[in-house]
Amino acid sequence: MSMKHLNGPALGAAGILLFLVTWEAIPRLGLVNERYLPPASLVMAKFFGYLFQPGFWGSVAHTMTAWTLGLAISIIAASVLGLLIGSSLFLRRATRSTIEFLRPIPSVALIPLAVLLFGLKIESSLLLIVYASFWQVLLQVLSGVADVDPVADNTARSYGLGRMARIRYVVWPTTLPYLITGIRLASAVALILAITAELVIGTPGLGQQIALTQSGGAVAEMYALIVATGLIGVLINTVVRLVEKRVLTWHTSVRGEATT
Amino acid sequence: MKKILMIGLAAASVIALSACSAGADTTAPAKSDALTPVTVGVIPIVDTAPIWLGKEKGFFSAEGLDLTVQVTTGGAAAVPGVVSGDYEFAFGNLVSVMVARDQGLDLRYVANGNSTAGSPDFGAVIVPGDSPIMSAADLAGKTVSVNNLQNIGDTTIRQIVEDDGGDSSGIQFVEVGFPDAEAAVENSQVDAAWILAPFLDSAVANGARVISYNFSAFDTNLDIAGYFANGDTISNDPDLVTKFQTAMNKSLEYAQANPDEVRQIVTTYTKMTADQLTDMVLPEFRVDFNVDAATKLGDAAVRFGTLSAAPDLGVMLP
Repeated sequence: MSMKHLNGPALGAAGILLFLVTWEAIPRLGLVNERYLPPASLVMAKFFGYLFQPGFWGSVAHTMTAWTLGLAISIIAASVLGLLIGSSLFLRRATRSTIEFLRPIPSVALIPLAVLLFGLKIESSLLLIVYASFWQVLLQVLSGVADVDPVADNTARSYGLGRMARIRYVVWPTTLPYLITGIRLASAVALILAITAELVIGTPGLGQQIALTQSGGAVAEMYALIVATGLIGVLINTVVRLVEKRVLTWHTSVRGEATT
Repeated sequence: MKKILMIGLAAASVIALSACSAGADTTAPAKSDALTPVTVGVIPIVDTAPIWLGKEKGFFSAEGLDLTVQVTTGGAAAVPGVVSGDYEFAFGNLVSVMVARDQGLDLRYVANGNSTAGSPDFGAVIVPGDSPIMSAADLAGKTVSVNNLQNIGDTTIRQIVEDDGGDSSGIQFVEVGFPDAEAAVENSQVDAAWILAPFLDSAVANGARVISYNFSAFDTNLDIAGYFANGDTISNDPDLVTKFQTAMNKSLEYAQANPDEVRQIVTTYTKMTADQLTDMVLPEFRVDFNVDAATKLGDAAVRFGTLSAAPDLGVMLP
């Protein structure tokens, strides 16, 4: 059987297996001290142990709550503002330099502000998550609105469609694929910032647990939690991909992908 | 550029001030038969065992307090948490509070937290087993890691190097967190590391050598950390402060008398295991601050440039 005939999932599983074997070998061969990087088998045992602890699921719930809320706020705010700004030349020009100034500010630079305003509450996480993911969505929506076919827009105008109707029937379908891309980017960024906030500020969640295991010298447990955050990332990406396929069944990018 | 920086600083201080006043509004005492809620920010280490133990033993509810112990991992949230009013009290080391006071924040201790255990202690400067460094004086000109610069670690280490006849000005301090310090020493990223339990114990078990127990070498009566509050809380709510002091002091005495219970309670709020704790040196827990040692610490911090002026211990300590 040649490599060509291996299907996607099998190849993926082989990749993971190779990764785990390498991970197991590195500390076992003494390339890295086992006390700092425990072998994969030990970490995975701790990981499966966690799956039976209610405390672990409580942390996951905290992280996912912050993620969901933060992402939802960013998507709604960025979509509304994006459509508003994008459909007005005046607003586009007026906000461009401000957006270009605010966008590159790393969200983590706002940690001192978040701590001062909200302390260890979930709002601190939300501030960081929303700040980071808002721009991802907003920029995509703005590009989407800019991508509207002028002929289609003029046709709609000449048929007497009002502003709201044009947004609904012309701008929205063009923007949707961009928005979905923005959401996919933002969902990954939101998870990163959720974990960062918990790790650095200490808001409740998986990140805080990682910090606790680190400060307690429980190295294998720490890596087990890191594995958990990675799996959540994979899960989030899978879900967003599914949503993308469902929402954009009509779009060429998805149709093209489906036929191959 | 400078102008932008100034505007930024001004904006930040306005926000900080508004946070202060907003915090002050929300700390109105609840006067009723129900327990008074009180939130204390602590780092999850052995040093804070008494407050967890006291909560479990009911010392706080006996004083009419409904205590919430809020874990702050990085320590980044302790001072802002108290300043903004999220916590009524927080756990912090003496130099941190001295620095905060030096910068104009009115933070004052209401209770002691933990003190040096003597020799052996729960914190030490370690080197690799085969290091040429044999004494504190040998640290002169070397690279030494501490968890935070301009804090209690480098201040006490500079002093013990001077006391040992070395020149402390050439020591290069770098920031390495306690969990990573052992690896940093082992991989020769630093010549020596300041490290606390439980990492001290594991480092020594794996061949590291203790150069000095820097807290007890600095002063055998050194208090390391305690529970502090905002000046506003102390003047506006003396009743709450008295209740907290009573319960906290009872907790300190109980913890000092019952080391086995300390070791047990630590496993409930940290990820340390009972095995790690059996041989661990515990800090001393006592009620009264040692003013002489604190004065010495403040003077050292001034001499090494961490503070601009000697702290007013009459105000800072209870």
